[in-house]
Amino acid sequence: MKRLCVAVFCLALVVYFWPTSSLANEKMLMMATTTSTDNTGLLDYLAPKFKEATGIELKWTATGTGKALKLGENCDVDILMVHAPPAEKKFVADGFGTDRREIMYNDFVIIGPASDAAGIKGKSIKDAFAMLKAKQAVFASRGDNSGTHKKELALWQAADLPVPEKESWYVQTGQGMLATINIAAERNGYTMTDRGTYIKYESNLQGNPPLKILVEGDAVLLNQYSVIAINPKHCAKANYDTAQQFIKWIAGPQAQQLIKDFKLLGKPLFTPNAKM
Amino acid sequence: MDFILDGFIHAFHLLTSGNAETYSAIWVTVKVSSYSICCSLLIGIPLGFCLGYFDFRWKKSLRTVVDTLMALPTVFIGLLVYAFITHRGPLGNFGLLFSLPGIAIGQTILALPIVIGLSATAVESMDQKLRIAIISMGANRRQLFISSLWEARHGLLAGAIAAYGRVMTEVGISMMVGGNIKWHTRTITTAIALETNKGQFGLGVALGIVLLVIAFCVNISVSFLRRRV
Amino acid sequence: MNQPLYELRSLAHSYGGKTVVSIEHLAVPPGSILGIIGPNGSGKSSLLRLLGLIERPTRGKILFNGREVAPFSDEARFLISLLPQEPFLMKRSVFNNVSYGLKLRGNGGDISARVGEALAWVGLSSADFARRPWYALSGGEAQRVALAARLALKPEVLLLDEPTASVDAASAQLIKEAALRARRHWGATLIVASHDWQWLYEICDEIRHIFKGQIFGTGRESIIFGPWQEQKPGKWAKILSDKQQMIVPVPPNQEAAAVIKDLAVSESELRDGDDDLILRGLVSRLSLEKNTGQVVATIIAGNLPLSVGLTPQQVQERTIFPGKDIFIHYSLEQVKWI
Repeated sequence: MKRLCVAVFCLALVVYFWPTSSLANEKMLMMATTTSTDNTGLLDYLAPKFKEATGIELKWTATGTGKALKLGENCDVDILMVHAPPAEKKFVADGFGTDRREIMYNDFVIIGPASDAAGIKGKSIKDAFAMLKAKQAVFASRGDNSGTHKKELALWQAADLPVPEKESWYVQTGQGMLATINIAAERNGYTMTDRGTYIKYESNLQGNPPLKILVEGDAVLLNQYSVIAINPKHCAKANYDTAQQFIKWIAGPQAQQLIKDFKLLGKPLFTPNAKM
Repeated sequence: MDFILDGFIHAFHLLTSGNAETYSAIWVTVKVSSYSICCSLLIGIPLGFCLGYFDFRWKKSLRTVVDTLMALPTVFIGLLVYAFITHRGPLGNFGLLFSLPGIAIGQTILALPIVIGLSATAVESMDQKLRIAIISMGANRRQLFISSLWEARHGLLAGAIAAYGRVMTEVGISMMVGGNIKWHTRTITTAIALETNKGQFGLGVALGIVLLVIAFCVNISVSFLRRRV
Repeated sequence: MNQPLYELRSLAHSYGGKTVVSIEHLAVPPGSILGIIGPNGSGKSSLLRLLGLIERPTRGKILFNGREVAPFSDEARFLISLLPQEPFLMKRSVFNNVSYGLKLRGNGGDISARVGEALAWVGLSSADFARRPWYALSGGEAQRVALAARLALKPEVLLLDEPTASVDAASAQLIKEAALRARRHWGATLIVASHDWQWLYEICDEIRHIFKGQIFGTGRESIIFGPWQEQKPGKWAKILSDKQQMIVPVPPNQEAAAVIKDLAVSESELRDGDDDLILRGLVSRLSLEKNTGQVVATIIAGNLPLSVGLTPQQVQERTIFPGKDIFIHYSLEQVKWI
């Protein structure tokens, strides 16, 4: 009996001290990014290539844009990859971030049921939003202060309409993009999503999703992704050099080509646009 | 609805095909929850024992506090722990954020009230005659304490199992403190949260079933142990 | 060197404000057997727990072998063992229960052998019982195992609280024999609290009564409880079930008990002194008192048991036998109140 206890205890010690990944010798870079970016699978695709090229292991946590910026401000990460340009610029202006670099973009689209009861297909953003409000069509919003959400709010503003906060047809999910799309699909309603996530959604459903793209192409729907290094002056412990290496790599020709080649269902999700 | 059936089939595939992501999540889950349970038992059982054994002025109030803490929401604990171990927080220098030890700290806080409360109950429901019997055999104070602890072992084990269940299945702390980083701090529960958020319900169910299988194995071994002891 | 094994001085013990034991002085000689008789609630169990160093008395001293001791005293804890009234075993096998005390003492040696020996003394075969879990025993078997656990320790003092009260007849017999074996084999001192008067008279060197926490007497007194009724002003009595009146002096209060020593018996109602008070009863039982060689006759007068001491010659001369009609004489001066 006593021997059994000792054996279990030793096993426990082994379990604890066995490393799940090799330790400090490897170089590591901690990134905060958004759920939209993560959900597309882009980072899963790029990270091994980055490691091959530089020997640095990329670790990332995916949260909403608001939290990602907060993590950067709290010095919990070394680098950010987000898509909320106004908030990003403020972040840098406040001294939390530095070396902001635009790296790729896609666009936002409005999706909805093929039957399109509100009749917004092909319309401009302003008209589409006005019709959604008039018809009281179910619209799912991220409602979580993410880059996507901020964009959506800006669009209501641009359409001269108040954000339909308390309306029964305006569903604030507080969740990630794919979850929000699913909720919209359940309710046979509309939502705004970035194209990358929409293609991922499409491919999840083997190319035949219930919600289709109805409004696209408006200039105001541009979705710009950037990386920002955490400012070493603000965070003494930030891995600034490694962050710079990543920024250099992702804006460089190899990574930009990889981003261009990243496709689902034969469609590219992002368009690289890093300036040399 | 069919995603539930898909889930079962998918779970079988995940386990038998040695799917790397799944096994990484399993290993992370086992490691971090075992560590949390060990810590919370080592700290919680003596504390709970004292709470049940001795009589002192604020005993009842303390007991109420412990019982209330059993209902702490995991996201709340996650938030509190984050506040301490973020790089700008008081314990920021230890690099605990986004690491397994960080999650373990949060999970230990989660499990402690359960272990303390149920240990105290186990001790209180011990027969008064035990004390007389042990002393009449010539035990000194230390031997009395240890033997009483051993006598209460079935109740203590129940507390440990309850705490283990709570720790294995929590999401809030692992997500908030661990960051759900693939290969490193992605546990089965955070993986489920992620996949369901991505709309991959089938995979979510599959992972849930995997979790149940693990919990089942643990409980089988515990009940085997219980019968031998 | 006649140092008593135990000496109690000015001992008092209370629970929640209520005094349960109050003994001015008690000395127990080593190697003796002391019997304690008293009703429930008289403080027997509390006294045994104090002697067993399970609890510390509220007031007063307990001296063991001339040294003052308290619970957990290293000088005494391996030498004294108490067997409580209710059978109780720890949640482990019979073997581990019996060997528990031996392991506490760090006895290397042959624990198996000693456990087997102790179980044999209480009439349990090691082969059948050693592996049994604590819940697979009858009340009597459990109490026997509990006794075996204490016997295995070969303590100098064995305290038994109603050892045969909660068990079946066969177990009771085995327990009684095992206790005496302790005395014979290593000269243990036994202190036994019991209702079983017959057994106590058989085995004890001394007997004490205990009532309301106080010790008195030699065991041959009769104790009578109330209620007391005032028949005529100044004249009090207890009404017995057959309407006889037992006349007593003025009782201090209704809870007081009357103690009468040296009752006398006769076959006829008449006797020399007119001051004698008389009760009529039936001889119920005759017991032989070990130490003195005296016979104690239990006589029931209207449901009230009374004890009378007689020499064997007197028993023979007066042909006293159970079932015989008999008269008891006493005077008011003989009645003491407690």
